[in-house]
Amino acid sequence: MPENTLLNSYPELANVWDEMFRAEGTRPEYRHFVTAIENLAGTEMTRKAELAKKLFLSQGVTFTVYNSGEGIEKIFPFDIIPRIINHAEWQRIEAGIKQRLKALNIFLKDIYHQQFILKDGIMPAALVYSCPQFLREMMNVNVPHDIYTHIAGVDLIRDNDGELYVLEDNLRTPSGVSYMLENRSITYRIFPDLLPKSNVLPVKDYPDLLFRNLLALGSRQASEATVVLLSPGIYNSAYFEHSALARLMGIRLVESRDLIVHNHFVYMKTTRGLERVDVIYRRVDDEYIDPLVFRPDSALGVSGLYWAYRKGNVAIVNAMGNGVADDKAVYCYVPDMIRYYLNEEPILKNVPTHRLDDPDKRQHVFDNMERMVIKRTNESGGYGMLIGNCATDEEMADFRTAISQDPRSFIAQPIINLSSSPCYIDGVLQPRRVDLRPFALYGPSGIDIVPGGLTRVALREGSLVVNSSQGGGSKDTWVLGPEN
Amino acid sequence: MLSRVADTIYWLARYLERSQAMLQVLRINYIASQDEQAFEGWKPLLYTYGDLTEEEVTATAADTALVLGHLIFDRENAVSVYNNIVQGRENARAVQDHITKEVWLSLNDYYHVIRQDEVARQVQVEDPVSGIDFLIKQGLLFAGTVQHTMPRDEGYVFLSMGKFLERALQTTDIMRLKREAFSPATEPHQSASALRYLLYALFGYELYTKTYKGVITPENVLEMLVYDEDFPHSLAYSLAQLVRYCERLRDDSLPESYDHLHFLIGKAKNNVAYSSLTAIDGPALEQFLKQTRGELLDIAAALNTYYFGNS
Repeated sequence: MPENTLLNSYPELANVWDEMFRAEGTRPEYRHFVTAIENLAGTEMTRKAELAKKLFLSQGVTFTVYNSGEGIEKIFPFDIIPRIINHAEWQRIEAGIKQRLKALNIFLKDIYHQQFILKDGIMPAALVYSCPQFLREMMNVNVPHDIYTHIAGVDLIRDNDGELYVLEDNLRTPSGVSYMLENRSITYRIFPDLLPKSNVLPVKDYPDLLFRNLLALGSRQASEATVVLLSPGIYNSAYFEHSALARLMGIRLVESRDLIVHNHFVYMKTTRGLERVDVIYRRVDDEYIDPLVFRPDSALGVSGLYWAYRKGNVAIVNAMGNGVADDKAVYCYVPDMIRYYLNEEPILKNVPTHRLDDPDKRQHVFDNMERMVIKRTNESGGYGMLIGNCATDEEMADFRTAISQDPRSFIAQPIINLSSSPCYIDGVLQPRRVDLRPFALYGPSGIDIVPGGLTRVALREGSLVVNSSQGGGSKDTWVLGPEN
Repeated sequence: MLSRVADTIYWLARYLERSQAMLQVLRINYIASQDEQAFEGWKPLLYTYGDLTEEEVTATAADTALVLGHLIFDRENAVSVYNNIVQGRENARAVQDHITKEVWLSLNDYYHVIRQDEVARQVQVEDPVSGIDFLIKQGLLFAGTVQHTMPRDEGYVFLSMGKFLERALQTTDIMRLKREAFSPATEPHQSASALRYLLYALFGYELYTKTYKGVITPENVLEMLVYDEDFPHSLAYSLAQLVRYCERLRDDSLPESYDHLHFLIGKAKNNVAYSSLTAIDGPALEQFLKQTRGELLDIAAALNTYYFGNS
């Protein structure tokens, strides 16, 4: 038998946990997959990679980049080698995310009502009140079923000891779920018959679960709630996802100009006149959602929406004001929240995080800057961030000044050596760093997490930044079923 | 118009419509085989669309490539998509003066495409979905070319009658193929997933979710596939189209022939329109589908006897 060069030439990174390989060989969850690709010729793999690319384009799975001068349709780079998670580990992830989400949801209800967590001294009030995403407008607003975090995309990373850490809880309008669905449908096309033989759990129930939850939020005494998806419009980079989800659920995709608020009820303008809207799955950020209450220059929102929401005449998903719970400084307190609200020990660990408004910690961070990642608390997408070991002195100095001026807006974390996963690049397998974003749906009947998620991968060699805006790509994520 | 020409044109449309229906069912069944844990296997399709014996079916069913090869490309299989296209093209060739050049060329192209080894390789070895999509596109090209270039004359009427008669037959057949899904004995989750693939197989899933808001119930699926007049693959739609084209034949027909055909189509249409189906009653549903199929075949027989002179 010829030596399999594809697998044998894989250069493992020192001091990095690899998702597929360990010292003794392939991890058990990958064995079936490896057997399947072992005997493929190199040209065959390249053909598959090309096919995947072609399919993404022909399926219209693209995002549009406008800042590069003209509107360019790009595909979100996809790597054909799946990331595989065994059943036992998935169960732990699932339990951990559910626990976290439960606590965060109670936190939001608490912080916008009685604020026991502040009164009991678990968390400093200053931290909450200084958070720009803390909306005073949400104080004492009762949201349907007390659910704030209907859709969450929790980012998990793995350190070199194999332990999983929660990096971020995205509780506002997490995106990427359409890529989870599309990646799967591309995988069964490039690897025919591999999925059914590998005992992979399906992700295709996501739209049904989401739609069921959305319908359940309608409060009107009508036979069925009218649900719409509010998108900023075709210029939004995630517009593909908005239209894909609307189509999968069979709901209307609306823009701000399609909605109108009258007498504290929300209506959409249709050819048959105004039609009342009961539930809005919005993909517009809080600050743009109602120009009468938040940013007055917003053209993406609907005037009067906030008051309709506040009166309980329309349900909004996710709730407004969630940003206070996924603020990067509030993040430090999530383990305490879990202990405080649920009386449980956290199942998933937090990345150790230093708040920089404490002068001692700030000094410690300044002294060890080359081993730290420094992030702005209110930014995402891999922006506003400094990675110590690859920053120039100048960049570090800039950050030092900025931090000293406004320490509340920064946090520091040790550089986590993200785990790697083999990617098929230029005809060979190469290790690239990955994270994992499973999507959790919180509805009146509980929390559902479809077995899978979006594995994002930093395609640039040596890079630790997986965000799509920073040269990241994605992989299909397989969660294996229980072994029979 | 010559009876022979009418017959040939009518069958041309039937072959093409049948190929489209088969390809889509195969496509969706393949996707289900990849993405559905409770996949029911290929046997029902082999029985419906193939010509294999019991043992051969058992031997073939486990191998997706063999199944697709047999049903799509097998030249020995008289009812394969390949042979449908060959027949369709032969028919077109025989009536070239009654169809436009563009229609003939689109069929000729289809024929040459389905003969390419590359296409068979794509379906059987690489990505079946891309391969089948490519073939379906050829069929769509044919349908569009007909729409765009054919004069609305008698030939067009026979073309349309063949198309909608075949479509109604395919809808009943595909529903019978998946009748288990309607049964109350089937576990709800499994039933919903089978019904979803049924809707996909008839190009109706998007309309369904928009109309019925996500919940897939046997009742609603029946309602749409049988009665919905806006859904181009429902029985009601196909039968309404048949009535429409039949009525356009009136001035070109012998009064007796016309009355006979019109009666049979009207009867089938009304039997569907005034049926009161419930999914609970499995035997009644089966009976209804069988009866409808019988009535559609009566229409085909009447065309044969009164218009094509094949009595």
